[in-house]
This record gives sequence, C-alpha cells and structure tokens, in this order.
Amino acid sequence: MDIAPEVDDSARRLAFGTHVEPEVEVLLRVALSLTGHRADAEDLVQDTVIRAWRAMDGFDGRHPRAWLLTILRNTHRNTHRRQRPDTAAEPADAVGARPAFGAREHPDPQQVHADAQLSDRLERAVLALPETFRTVLLLVDVDQLTYAEAAATLGVPIGTVMSRLSRARHRVRKHLGPHPDPSSSGGSP
Amino acid sequence: MITWMQSMVQCRRSAARLEQYLDADPSAPLPADERQRLAAHLAVCDRCTRAAARHRLLRASLHRLGDHHRPDAASLARLQHLVHTIAADDERS
Repeated sequence: MDIAPEVDDSARRLAFGTHVEPEVEVLLRVALSLTGHRADAEDLVQDTVIRAWRAMDGFDGRHPRAWLLTILRNTHRNTHRRQRPDTAAEPADAVGARPAFGAREHPDPQQVHADAQLSDRLERAVLALPETFRTVLLLVDVDQLTYAEAAATLGVPIGTVMSRLSRARHRVRKHLGPHPDPSSSGGSP
Repeated sequence: MITWMQSMVQCRRSAARLEQYLDADPSAPLPADERQRLAAHLAVCDRCTRAAARHRLLRASLHRLGDHHRPDAASLARLQHLVHTIAADDERS
C-alpha cells in the first residue's frame, strides 16, 4: 500500500496514533454494519485509516470519532459506487446475509442455546427492516454510536437519525409480536 | 372527562419525546423542563411506563446482540497493527 511516503512528521504521527488507534474497533463495528461483510469491513477500515493519515494535517483534533466516521462514510460511498453496484438495498435481498453480525468466537456452551434464541428472533426482526432503517438501528442500538456519530456516518441530520431510529424500533417491536421480550430466554436488561 | 382528555394529551406529548428521553443521547439532550415533565408523567401513567419498559428492554437486547457479535479478532489485530505501523513510522521508507 502507498502511504504518503513524502510525509515524515513526528507530531503528525503522534496525533494519528492518539486519535485513530482508540477508534479502530468502533470503526470496524460500524464498517460491519454498513457493509454486512467481514472482509469488506476490514478493507473499508483499512482504506479509512490510510485516508485519515493523509488528511491528518487538516484535522483540528476535535471529535476524532466523528471525523473518522465521516471519512469512513465517504470511503464507503466511493467504494460502493465503484465496486458494488449490485449491493443489496432491500431486506428481501438481504435475507440470509448477516449484516453487522458475524460468527461468534469461543462461545460459552451454557450460553449458546439462549444466545441462539435471542439472536434468531432479533436478527430476523432486524433483517426484515428496510436497509435505511436497519443501518440506523445497528449504528445506534447495536454499535452504541450517539445520534450525532450515526449522523456523521450516514451523512444525514440528527433529526433524520432520530426519526429513522424510532421507526426502525417500532417495526422491530411489531415484528417480535405480542411477546416483545426477546430476552425471555437470555436474561434481563 | 376533562381530566381524561388532559391525560391523553400528556400521553401524546410524552410518546413523541419518550425515546429521546430514555436514550438520553448526549448529542440530542432534551431541555431540563421537558425531562422533568416526562419524569412526572411516567410516575403516574401506566401506559407510558409500559412503553418505556418495552423500549428499555429492546435497547438492552440489541446491545447484548452487539456484545455477542463482536468484530473479527484477526481483522481488528491487523487494523490495529496497521495504525500502529503508520503512527510509529517503523516500516515505511
């Protein structure tokens, strides 16, 4: 990979490490929510990190997560346009895919059954959402971004995030039916 | 009759702001007087209290879903190494 070899500034490197390193996991989670594919998510974050390095000189040091999420959004949009014109846009196309949710690692045997029921009900409900709603729900309720961070990620106003989020939650509750407690087999909040 | 209608109005007003109130998102805080009004309403309204409980339950379940589906550890390690490498400038020429 080509990483601006002409730049060699220790302060810049220090700022990069300070601002970017703590956000890598969040970026990867968000990238999974946006792409729905682990390999694509890693590629997206890698491209985002490299772009962030190149853009460090223009960054004022405030709100690094929002700054990085904006870069990630632009990178994803450009990549999406260039390479993935056939990406699923509606839930009917996404059934069977696992947006944002990847394989477990080292599952606790006692937890597997309960987790499976919890995950199945919720994942079905989340997968049934239109992509616009699903993405907001994943970013805020699963990835734990703030409204503003989700807005930066999606390039929409905070009010739009709140509206889509509310509608997404309503649809999930409706999908879960008259017994909306998806944790009935997996514990309480 | 008037009391019942006042209650309905309060419920409608509360429903419109209930999720924002419960989320307590730092990037979109409700004004203090609105928070106090909602807290007072929830203290006396069973219907809105049940709605609040459903909301909290769904959020907690979705949060746990995220806990159970963390990003791939190998991907995370590779990306952290990439950032560290760039920041340390130890492998670039």
